[in-house]
Amino acid sequence: MNLFEFLNDHTYRLVFLGTMIIGLVAGSLGTFAYLRKQSLMSDVISHAALPGILTAFLLGSMLGLGADNMAYLVVGAIVFGTLAARSAHHIAQKSKIRIDTAMAVALTAFFGVGLLLLRHITNGDYAGKGGIQHYLFGNASTMTQNDIVTSAVIGGISLTLMTLFWKEFAARTFDALHATVMGMPIRLIDALMYLTIVSATVIGVKAVGLVLMVAFVVTPPAAARQWTRTLRGTVALSAGFGAVASGLGAYLSITIGNLPTGPVIVLVLSGIFALSLIFAPRRSMLTVAFMRSRARKKLLRELEAGAA
Amino acid sequence: MTFAVGVMLLAAVTAIACALPGVFIVLRKNSMLIDAMSHAVLPGIVVGYFFTNNLRSPLLVLAAALAGLLVVLSSEWLTNTGLIAGDAPQGLVFPALFSIGVILISQNFAGVHLDTHAVLAGDLNIAALAQLTIAGVAIGPQYLYLMLGVCALNTIFLAACGHHLALATFDREFASSIGIRVRTLNLTLMFLVSVTVTAAFAVAGAILVIALVVIPAATALLISSRLPMMFAMTTLVAIGGALGGFWSAYWLNAPTSATMSVFYGLIFAAVFFTVRIRRYSRSRRNSHGPNPSRSHHQPRVARI
Repeated sequence: MNLFEFLNDHTYRLVFLGTMIIGLVAGSLGTFAYLRKQSLMSDVISHAALPGILTAFLLGSMLGLGADNMAYLVVGAIVFGTLAARSAHHIAQKSKIRIDTAMAVALTAFFGVGLLLLRHITNGDYAGKGGIQHYLFGNASTMTQNDIVTSAVIGGISLTLMTLFWKEFAARTFDALHATVMGMPIRLIDALMYLTIVSATVIGVKAVGLVLMVAFVVTPPAAARQWTRTLRGTVALSAGFGAVASGLGAYLSITIGNLPTGPVIVLVLSGIFALSLIFAPRRSMLTVAFMRSRARKKLLRELEAGAA
Repeated sequence: MTFAVGVMLLAAVTAIACALPGVFIVLRKNSMLIDAMSHAVLPGIVVGYFFTNNLRSPLLVLAAALAGLLVVLSSEWLTNTGLIAGDAPQGLVFPALFSIGVILISQNFAGVHLDTHAVLAGDLNIAALAQLTIAGVAIGPQYLYLMLGVCALNTIFLAACGHHLALATFDREFASSIGIRVRTLNLTLMFLVSVTVTAAFAVAGAILVIALVVIPAATALLISSRLPMMFAMTTLVAIGGALGGFWSAYWLNAPTSATMSVFYGLIFAAVFFTVRIRRYSRSRRNSHGPNPSRSHHQPRVARI
């Protein structure tokens, strides 16, 4: 199937567009998580999204809303994702537990609650409960036009927030002390930044599943960082990597023959990362090895010249 | 042995087997590595199944444990390149391995039948189904004996190397200066954890197994300042959480492993807030007296 036929198919076009939006948003906002060295927080967030989605679903079914409407489910995911990230930070700040352990505790406790709710819903009599299983492993082919609009709107809001508070985000990321001295409201900036990272993480959960979402947030910035030195460049390139890998992954997963979309995208992302790590100019394994051998030779020459 | 008792014992033994090495995992700040490991063993299980055709084979556990070790080694390597920031290395490695596992399962590779839901959540009751029968008498779930074996392995290792591990954990330079092979020790620990995680996979699934490894030790860390105390507390929380979780699940008719991890979470929260409240009331009481810092009166022992 060539690209033209692929894009002419309604379902495929939705998958293609939907995953590209997810990749773009997660790639750009993931950069801040990456530079703050808190990439794995997105894993906590995506797992905590499950109880959030299910609570929203239960509330929604009381009010008579359907499960095909992703919008209010995403709101639940954002609330719980933020809650999980907050509690991990709280535990780490207020006790001798370190942040990695605090994250593991928050992740499993929230996810456990999610599984209990999931069992309650699958055993219960709820309309539209069929689609709810997809949130575990994700299923890109179930994305509807509504879902894509929801991801685009929430992703758009997050990207707008990032642009509006660019200076504050940058200052907070690189030098928190400097940001405080400049009179920036650090707590507010942190809350905003986390809100955008949480939003970027949860909009992808339905399409790629909660386990693999972390790759969408971590891999693009890690790859992009090898090529550029500026924040602007890293964010832009990371967004590009995320979008291109998602589109390409979606295309490959369908044309190769019914492979699950999320995992294929993750493998494409890993490929891009591996290439960046090895070949990127200035900052890559090949460059470092080359510089090192050159410095060694130079030193050797100088020593020989000194001895002579 | 009735079925319920068998399941309960399986829950308790699995909890202890996971929690004991968890002490060092928590102290070494490797908790999120368990998350990475438990996902990475998935392709190992699929490939192991290709060779053994038996999901309970010890060979399969070994193959999967090697996949778990692969995550440890490759994220260590990525960190050492100095090109990747923070905790990202693990996050770069395990999704790729997990993806390979999911793709293999979706393509029905080797005819392995793994319920995708069970991969994440596990199912204690299904794991306990196959009974071990000796001379016509059912003496409990087969899996119970596998986990007992793993538990014994961990206990022996910790009893033999616990002292060196403690030295290597708290003062790596000193440990290596007195001739302890820190890296070998570290890798052995990680390999054992990987074996444990793989063996517990069928019981607890890829995500809940993190709760079994991390939360008892994390809870114990809140209230202990010496290593032996921490081990005792960890075991206590592990057993208490497993039994409490099991019976709550039984009464609520809820999935056992999920209830266990929520129960663990509740124990952690209860201890966390109790410690906070006690510290708060103590600092209020002391705020009128002299300097509330008590560090001068403490005996000079290694503190966690």
